[in-house]
Amino acid sequence: MIVETKKILIDSKLKCASGDALESFELMTDFYGELNERKDNAVLVCHAFSGSHHAAGKRDGNIGWWDEFIGPDKTIDTNRFFVISVNNLGSCFGSSGPLSKDKNGERFNNNFPQLEVIDWVESQKMLADKLGIKKWHLVIGGSLGGMQSLQWAVSYPKMVKKVGILAAAAKTSSQNIALNEVEREVIRKDNDFNDGKYLEFNKSPVKGLKAARMLGHITYLSAKNMDLRFGRKLQNTDSKIAEDVDFEIENYLQYKGGKFAESFDANSYILLTKVMDKFDIAHGYDDSLEAALENITAEVLVVSFTSDWMFPTSNGKEICLASIKVNKKCSYIELEGEHGHDSFLYPNEDYQIAIKNFIESK
Amino acid sequence: MKSDFKRIIEKWIPQNTKVLDLGCGDGDLLEHLKDSKNVNGFGIEIDISKANECLRRNIPVMQCDIDEGIKEFNDLDFDITIMANSIQCLKNPNLALQNILNISNKCIVTLPNFAHWSCRLDLFFGKMPVTKNLPVPWYETKNIHLCTIKDFEELCNNLDLYVIEKLYLNNNFKESTLTKLLPNLFAAEGVYLIERK
Repeated sequence: MIVETKKILIDSKLKCASGDALESFELMTDFYGELNERKDNAVLVCHAFSGSHHAAGKRDGNIGWWDEFIGPDKTIDTNRFFVISVNNLGSCFGSSGPLSKDKNGERFNNNFPQLEVIDWVESQKMLADKLGIKKWHLVIGGSLGGMQSLQWAVSYPKMVKKVGILAAAAKTSSQNIALNEVEREVIRKDNDFNDGKYLEFNKSPVKGLKAARMLGHITYLSAKNMDLRFGRKLQNTDSKIAEDVDFEIENYLQYKGGKFAESFDANSYILLTKVMDKFDIAHGYDDSLEAALENITAEVLVVSFTSDWMFPTSNGKEICLASIKVNKKCSYIELEGEHGHDSFLYPNEDYQIAIKNFIESK
Repeated sequence: MKSDFKRIIEKWIPQNTKVLDLGCGDGDLLEHLKDSKNVNGFGIEIDISKANECLRRNIPVMQCDIDEGIKEFNDLDFDITIMANSIQCLKNPNLALQNILNISNKCIVTLPNFAHWSCRLDLFFGKMPVTKNLPVPWYETKNIHLCTIKDFEELCNNLDLYVIEKLYLNNNFKESTLTKLLPNLFAAEGVYLIERK
């Protein structure tokens, strides 16, 4: 499989939904496979909240977040399809975001334009134009990436043949927003946060970021999955990573949170959670989901997991039922998923066959 | 699904209609109707491997329980609903029938006749019937509300439903003199086209 990673400069203005604009921007992008002559085998894979462009293959000791799904003969077969995975604007893995510098050479920090999912779609539309891709065979993603896929199908119906919406919703719920706000508050209240200008003081609110991620992580798992994996097991004394840790689950969250805080940017965390909060596909359509979906010409696959309490199955069903009502070709698959919300990331035979059959059907 | 059976159902489906198939299995009926009648078909199927087969055939499918699904389908608008060989698997067939006729104007129901002579014979010898169209033993069957042709027609009457057309078929999916003469004894299968009175 041909793998390439490129930082692509889009030297045109991006007008954001908020009214702000970026004069130009860069998108860190992974490419897997080859674009065919007719340029009709391109697949856009959209990452979730804290993901990156690195979707497949091993790099610097890390395995891509959807490695089991992308590759030769895999769910998205790179012998047939040309897969593009873009690090979203506002994130911190190479695309323009709070860590980049503005036109005056100053770091954006907390002044990066507040984005919305639709801005990501616009930025990727500009990328597609640059690459000469007129139509995606498939746009697919999980969680926030699923919302982005849905937005693609609504914003540019003629450019999307098929769309896969995994463990996602047509809008974030009040509970989603509430949990995100607690996570943001924990970061803001870190003494090293300095109103988002922490890098100017050579600091980073790692403690706040770690605690925010620990809470976030709980929302990605299911109660059953946590019980099966950790139960009430006590942590070995010699492998404790914090002194007052008693249970394995505590140690696990400490470890995961700490590791995350080392590699993620706090301003990005705040910005991206706000992108999620603002998402409502029916916004601008008199709050009518059906009216929003009316534009879609793509075939739609919605997958929900019964163990997901972040975006429960009712969210997926709602998209499918509204689609049928407006005569769209929409399918809905409901799986248990062993990993709660994160189930969309994990290989599972029925899940992968569903996606593969959907992608490859004529 | 047997091709004779598909042909019978096909006759009652007008061109270019929006069709809901409850318990659509691997989607072969909807695929057939898409090819022959250009229908805009949609299926409901609880079994994931069958639903995945629908995806392979590019037949839109919602993988869920019919009993559950139907409740959420209230304000959808289909021309015709097909319930082939699945009414006997539902928790509340009577409520389901009424719901279906809220979603669509017409409904095609096919059901195995529990009063077919082969069933009667099995029962006469003290055994739960295992027949050609009821091949699964009692402890594994999904059929929880089996009925006879007489029962079903009575239910339609009680629910104020009008049977527009009906066919009584033998084990080879054919009408015969016997099935016409004494359907509740000789028909293995009843096929109905129903609407509200």
